[in-house]
Amino acid sequence: MFHAVVAVKQVPDTTNIRIDPDTGNLVREGVPAIMNPYDAHALAAAVEWKRRLNGRVTVISMGPPSFTTTIREAIEMGADRGILISDRKLAGADTLATSYVLAEVIRAIHNEDPIDLLLFGKQAIDGDTAQVGPGVGVRLDMPVVTYAVGIRAIDLDDDTVVVERRTERWTEIIETPLPALLTCEKDIAEIPFAPLPDLIKSLRYEPEIWTIEGPVAFEQDMIGVRGSPTIVYQMGTPPLPEAGEVINTRETSIDAAVTFVFQKAEAAGVLGTMLGGGK
Amino acid sequence: MNNERIEFDAIVVGAGLAGSAAAMVMARKGLNVALIERGQKPGGKNYFGGAIYTHAIAEVLPDYMDRRPPFERPVTEAGFWFLSRDGITRMTVQGGKLNAEPADAYITLRANFDMWWAEQAQAAGAFLIPKTAVVDFIREENGQVIGVLTDRPQGEVYAPVVIICEGVNNLLAQKLDLISHDLEPAHIALAFKKVISLPMETINARFGLSDDEHGLAVSVLGDVSLGLPGMGFVYTNKTSVSVGLGMMLDKLAEYRLRPYDILDRYLDHPAIAPLVKGGQLLEYGAHLIPEGGYRAMPRLYTGGAMVAGDAAAMVNALHWEGTNMAIIAGQQAAETALEAHSRGDFSEKVMARYEDRLKDGFILQDLKQYRGFANFLETHPQFMDVYPNFLNDALGQFFSAYGKPKKELFRGMLGALTDRRTLFKAAGDIVSMARSVMGW
Amino acid sequence: MTARRFWVFIEQEQGKVHPVAWELLGVARRLASQVAEEAQASGDEVSVEGVLLGHQVRDIAAEAIKYGADRVYLIDDPVLAQYRNCPYYMSIAAVAEKYQPEVFLIGATTLGRDLAGAVATALRTGLTADCTKLEMGEVKGAKQRLLQATRPAFGGNIMATIVCRKHRPQMSSVRPRVFPAAPYNPDAVGEIIAEETGVTEEGARSCILEFVHAQEDTVDIEYSDVIVAGGRGVGGPEGFAVIKALADAMGGVVGASRPCVDAGWIKYPHQVGQTGKTVRPKVYVAAGISGALQHKVGMQNSDFIIAINSDPNAPIFEVADVGIVGDLFEVIPAMIKEIEARKEARV
Repeated sequence: MFHAVVAVKQVPDTTNIRIDPDTGNLVREGVPAIMNPYDAHALAAAVEWKRRLNGRVTVISMGPPSFTTTIREAIEMGADRGILISDRKLAGADTLATSYVLAEVIRAIHNEDPIDLLLFGKQAIDGDTAQVGPGVGVRLDMPVVTYAVGIRAIDLDDDTVVVERRTERWTEIIETPLPALLTCEKDIAEIPFAPLPDLIKSLRYEPEIWTIEGPVAFEQDMIGVRGSPTIVYQMGTPPLPEAGEVINTRETSIDAAVTFVFQKAEAAGVLGTMLGGGK
Repeated sequence: MNNERIEFDAIVVGAGLAGSAAAMVMARKGLNVALIERGQKPGGKNYFGGAIYTHAIAEVLPDYMDRRPPFERPVTEAGFWFLSRDGITRMTVQGGKLNAEPADAYITLRANFDMWWAEQAQAAGAFLIPKTAVVDFIREENGQVIGVLTDRPQGEVYAPVVIICEGVNNLLAQKLDLISHDLEPAHIALAFKKVISLPMETINARFGLSDDEHGLAVSVLGDVSLGLPGMGFVYTNKTSVSVGLGMMLDKLAEYRLRPYDILDRYLDHPAIAPLVKGGQLLEYGAHLIPEGGYRAMPRLYTGGAMVAGDAAAMVNALHWEGTNMAIIAGQQAAETALEAHSRGDFSEKVMARYEDRLKDGFILQDLKQYRGFANFLETHPQFMDVYPNFLNDALGQFFSAYGKPKKELFRGMLGALTDRRTLFKAAGDIVSMARSVMGW
Repeated sequence: MTARRFWVFIEQEQGKVHPVAWELLGVARRLASQVAEEAQASGDEVSVEGVLLGHQVRDIAAEAIKYGADRVYLIDDPVLAQYRNCPYYMSIAAVAEKYQPEVFLIGATTLGRDLAGAVATALRTGLTADCTKLEMGEVKGAKQRLLQATRPAFGGNIMATIVCRKHRPQMSSVRPRVFPAAPYNPDAVGEIIAEETGVTEEGARSCILEFVHAQEDTVDIEYSDVIVAGGRGVGGPEGFAVIKALADAMGGVVGASRPCVDAGWIKYPHQVGQTGKTVRPKVYVAAGISGALQHKVGMQNSDFIIAINSDPNAPIFEVADVGIVGDLFEVIPAMIKEIEARKEARV
């Protein structure tokens, strides 16, 4: 029976980030927490295929207890089982330590219940590194296909999957043996409105919580801060750019404004470029 | 995918004030209740001035204070402000009955309060299903309601009794033919407000409140609504002030008025502007209020279903009462549902007991009494312009006539009225007012 | 004596080099010079080296030397003809184990991002993505200078500087156009060292069945000198006509802010910003763009920024060199008229 595992993360909705006008700092309160949009689409793809092939989807996430809401959202979206790996000792992990934990968890799940497909979102909108997916693939020695925009076919007899992968210049159609790991773009699947039974199931669902006590025995120096080669050495604010002059067409005329712009452009030495030197 | 029916003992549509009250009362007595809410969370779609009246909460949840409701400030001062073009006459009451603890009314913000209220329903055992809208009913051949249809795939939910607390846009009540027509703009008010943040001490100082355990709630009449039927309000929250007004939808349409402009004009009034000066706009919002009163109410029940709250037009516009009616009506619908369960009979005959319960209390009595009021303001625009202006003018004269012969003063004050309205008409206005308020 | 190697991945696809490789060679040279003093004191040798994979790409190795590489490790094999994750990361990991580079830079292109995380995990080392600043700096408790990799966090409001103390190589990915290209020296000399891949076609696992070239415009806006970008103020897909008209008049390309792409008004390759492209053209016109942080980080290094917005309080004016408060549908046609008039005057 088809078994897909999807890794999901809860992130702040960075499109709604506000800056405190007095301190210039991020306003964290009131920023809603959402399932990373790319992960949500990856999950939708997994659920679509589980329905087609009659299988099941397990969702995993590494994070603090508040991530349980995201696990429940995953059940609402059609996942069958949700596991949260949560422990203080796992905090402060960079992408290497994170890929270690997730890989070990996936190994344990695979031993119980063999996995055909492993899906990640292409990147998390808070970190944007896109590193964890490929990292897990390497650790599990699985082929990795990133920027997947569509799954064309899954053959469980031949153990292959055909994926559409989109790069800057073209789309590749790649065939790869199963089990395989995909990192997904939003185009890979639409997120449907959940049927009522799934929503009700999610409201009653209790996620499984795995800690460092078990079921997986993690190596202490591979997790959390200890397992992270990179650390944040310094934080700072970027230098404020110097604002240029602003001219208001309600106070002058449009022509005057345009003339002003060209004057400034000339002073800056880019007039030639603006007059068609662009190509 | 299992094909089992989704079934409950009762369904409540809408986790607002009426809905959560109904759910709470039924769940406490052991019924399996589904509380279906279309918003992301309860309260997300609700909005008001405003203040909650504690008598209603206490009816349903006697120990409510122990559960730490999210109140802003108690109403320790209440009254009327009459705005003339550039002046104000204030008539408020403090102390005495308004010093009760807990207070009779608390100023609150609906997103917080409705969320808390729904949590109490859940604590009593009701099952909240959010992000799901009820779009139709499942009925038997004879029309008996036996469940609802939601907007989700496989979205049928069965229950022998459904309590409809869908709010002012009563499309479901219309689906059951409890009312034969859609909302009429002449019966609906649009209430809109700005919530402006200010430091607590500033609010205390500007409104004369000794600390944050004191709060002001006033109705504002007169210049706010440009001579059209309407009423403004001011409520002090802990660290913000809600300032807004309501006007009839048909008038807004007829005169092509934009709520935002009317609100800004109100906030620019020389008596109001200093109160909110320097504050930051936190939010701007609007909501419809059913103000048609008794004459606009739908039938309140049919076999297997009852309607409560705004969906049933249970609002007394003059007294700003709607939230308490919603809560009590929700409770009374719930008790009717419990009665139906114990009798094993959900027919229209048993549902009619809901209306009996409503008649016993204040809801139907008051709505009947005030049935003429909605019309009254429309046919008596002098209450919005003449009288506030007269009050301001006359009292202004009184307080500036030092050294003037008092005979002249009183003549001037009378003139302030008669220049605007003949004595005969004024007397008539008072009688009309009394009649519409007393229900004669 | 240790060899302190500063590595750059020379990205190529179908025989064409991605210019980010030349940009990174410039960065690597600067980093190398920052450790020159301490290296001399210890008697260590510092070098800038390229890593190039592909099939029949030797001439690219020669180009890399002209852009400043002291040597290039060339892994030339049919199994590497098309990019695939497995053969590429495995080959690079093997050659990195052999030569133990200190620093390894990869361009954050689609290919680079597919590759970098895999290489870093295979080497069990740290990788910092999308860096906007790279320095070899003194770090408390470290005997030698370490790579200080700075990247924007949370939409660019905070700049975080990351270091990787013990693990090697210290890896970093950099978006195209963040740094200028290295100077080109046609007389430069260097070594090309051939290395074996060790990966067979079977070991490569995935196979590419076909390439589908997109029918619609796959414009690559990153390297244009002039970009005219439209935001929400453009109002809809038809609004982009005026944006394109101005871009055409200036010989540039059309860009867009994220909300326009999300709304389907224009395709993703035009998106500028944190989740789109980073650009640094000579002239950037932001029309109807409010200037949210997520957009600013993608264009703030442009040489000359013109902002047009009807809202005088739009944050875009803070980063613009010159701004016009007005209706873009009136201002832009006026600008086009002025450009045409001046072009005629020149002729």
